[in-house]
Amino acid sequence: MSGVTQFRRKARIAISDIRLQGALEGATQKFRTGRTAALADLPDAGALRDHFKAIRQATIAQLADHLETFERNAQASGAQVHWAADGDEACRIITGIAQQHGVKLTTKSKSMTSEEIGLNDALADAGVEPVETDLGEWIVQLAGEPPSHIVGPALHKTRQQVAELLSKEAGKELDADDIPLLTAEARRMLRQKFLDAGLGISGANIGVAESGSIVLVTNEGNGRLVTSAPPVHIALMGIEKIAPTWDDAAVWLSLLARSATGQPLSVYTSVVTGPAKSDDIDGPQEVHIVLLDNGRSKLLNTPFEEVLQCIRCGACLNVCPVYRAAGGHSYGSHYSGPIGAVISPLLFGLEKHAALPQASTLCGACLDECPSRIDLPRMLLALRAEEVESGLIPLPERLLERAAARVMGNHRLLSAAGTGLRLGQIPLAQGETLNIPRRFNPAQDRRLPALPKKSFRQMWRDGDLDE
Amino acid sequence: MNSRHKILNQLRSNGRAAETPGPWRSRRQFDDLAARFADALTAAKGECRRAGSLDDALDQLHQLLRELSAGKIVVNAEPPFIELDLPSRWPDFQWHTVGQSDGDLRAFCAAATVGLSGADAALAETGSVIVSSGPGRSRLATLLPEIHLALVPTSSLTADIFTWTAGRQGVLPANQIIVSGPSKTGDIEQTMAIGVHGPKRFIVILYDEG
Repeated sequence: MSGVTQFRRKARIAISDIRLQGALEGATQKFRTGRTAALADLPDAGALRDHFKAIRQATIAQLADHLETFERNAQASGAQVHWAADGDEACRIITGIAQQHGVKLTTKSKSMTSEEIGLNDALADAGVEPVETDLGEWIVQLAGEPPSHIVGPALHKTRQQVAELLSKEAGKELDADDIPLLTAEARRMLRQKFLDAGLGISGANIGVAESGSIVLVTNEGNGRLVTSAPPVHIALMGIEKIAPTWDDAAVWLSLLARSATGQPLSVYTSVVTGPAKSDDIDGPQEVHIVLLDNGRSKLLNTPFEEVLQCIRCGACLNVCPVYRAAGGHSYGSHYSGPIGAVISPLLFGLEKHAALPQASTLCGACLDECPSRIDLPRMLLALRAEEVESGLIPLPERLLERAAARVMGNHRLLSAAGTGLRLGQIPLAQGETLNIPRRFNPAQDRRLPALPKKSFRQMWRDGDLDE
Repeated sequence: MNSRHKILNQLRSNGRAAETPGPWRSRRQFDDLAARFADALTAAKGECRRAGSLDDALDQLHQLLRELSAGKIVVNAEPPFIELDLPSRWPDFQWHTVGQSDGDLRAFCAAATVGLSGADAALAETGSVIVSSGPGRSRLATLLPEIHLALVPTSSLTADIFTWTAGRQGVLPANQIIVSGPSKTGDIEQTMAIGVHGPKRFIVILYDEG
């Protein structure tokens, strides 16, 4: 039950943090506006999303075949393919490759999957220094924090906080108001790391089965550097990220950046098909692809199979009223927002993440936004039902719900309750609204209408509703 | 092999027959591919110059390199540069021709002002240029220098990513990049900053072939 209280405690702190609220609203609004404009620019975006959903559904239904095709073609291109049943196995495979090559320093391109399995800790334990190279991801690494958004890991940080972290790293005072300077300093400091690293580690946005290619999108160019400069490249990919053909990958790419940041395409889309060929000028001599299950395969053929269609664009976070108020860290999982509220319990245990299916208003905005039209509200409800069945709901809440069901099932009780509440609200009522105690309304921005003098049933009886 | 079997078995026992939809065909129709390309690239903070011929493109390139006070220039040995021998033509700059010049390519690229490349293809919809690895084509040459400058013939333009994937053939290079602007980030307070890890400027000279 500690999970439930933890979410509420963290969310309460987040909600009263005016600065964080500003950052969340600014960032998510920017993402939302960008996405809307980018999709509006597409001819037939709705049909394209339907088509994408159909591709994702069919691919997941036959994932075993597609993964085998992917493996065969990746191997034919010279890449080495590894399979990891869980996060520990993936970490062992990756640290093993690093140690085998005597790697002391590895540069990493942002990967939520690597966050999911705690790869950085595993690398550090194995004596390999991992350096995140996506600017936002590097900032949270320097701060010792998890990312707070799938696409914008450091969106909760102010420029002052960023400047402080980077100043410490640079050994000199950097002006927080000069964002181009902060960026230039990050470029300078990380450039040497790229060139010195013995290993590059990336995620994979897409694995294209028909050619055995890994597709990686970044805006900064770090994805290109990580996969081009070091002698060895390891890509970590969730098994669900398969596109059978390049035509399918094109649909995926045309929706990914538009949904995530509102760009028609990310600045760099990298396609890696095996290690450098014998007559290539540069590039890694070895490419490894680690296919990670970690709880995904067991979702097939369950009411939660749909969640495997997710492409981690983060669009559902940006529209979610709970994410926008509570922020990513409240969720206590690397995956936050509506998608995080569904996959965290599914992949890492309902008991551990019992609060998350509750962290939703079921408003349905996430479903409207999702590029592959994943029905997250339906799954949130299904998880809530499972929680009730497994007794994961706190006792006071269960008693309250039971009482509510009793009252609503009996018209006498209901009208008695109405009368009681009308009397009870008198000390709080101010005209037509209720004065909410400060404790429940820290920013003083919430309004709750008072119960009207007459109930609907009373108005009906008195004939108030006639014409 | 154990995990491989475990994962595949699990997926297979719970999988089912499903019909994958056919390919999505582009619904884009641009009257003027070159104009759309230029607009889209400009919107993405890239720069597009138009040239009436390869000679015109080279004149503009020369002018541009002088304006930039380019010191070191790395050039991929690929069309349209292969037979042009720019290093002898414009000896005022310090050149490295990929696969031909002596010296450490990586160090040269890291210190270079400009990386010059051609393109496999260009996407009008998004203002993107596609570059590949291969003989004479360095990945770092278009990545480490301050500026990536591409000479792209209008004949390589295609409408969008769908027309591009539909027309693809043959074996893929080990590395292929779709470039859609200069390197950028919004990671500090959602404020766009240009030039994080990749080139700070991305300039395309789009030329008609005479």
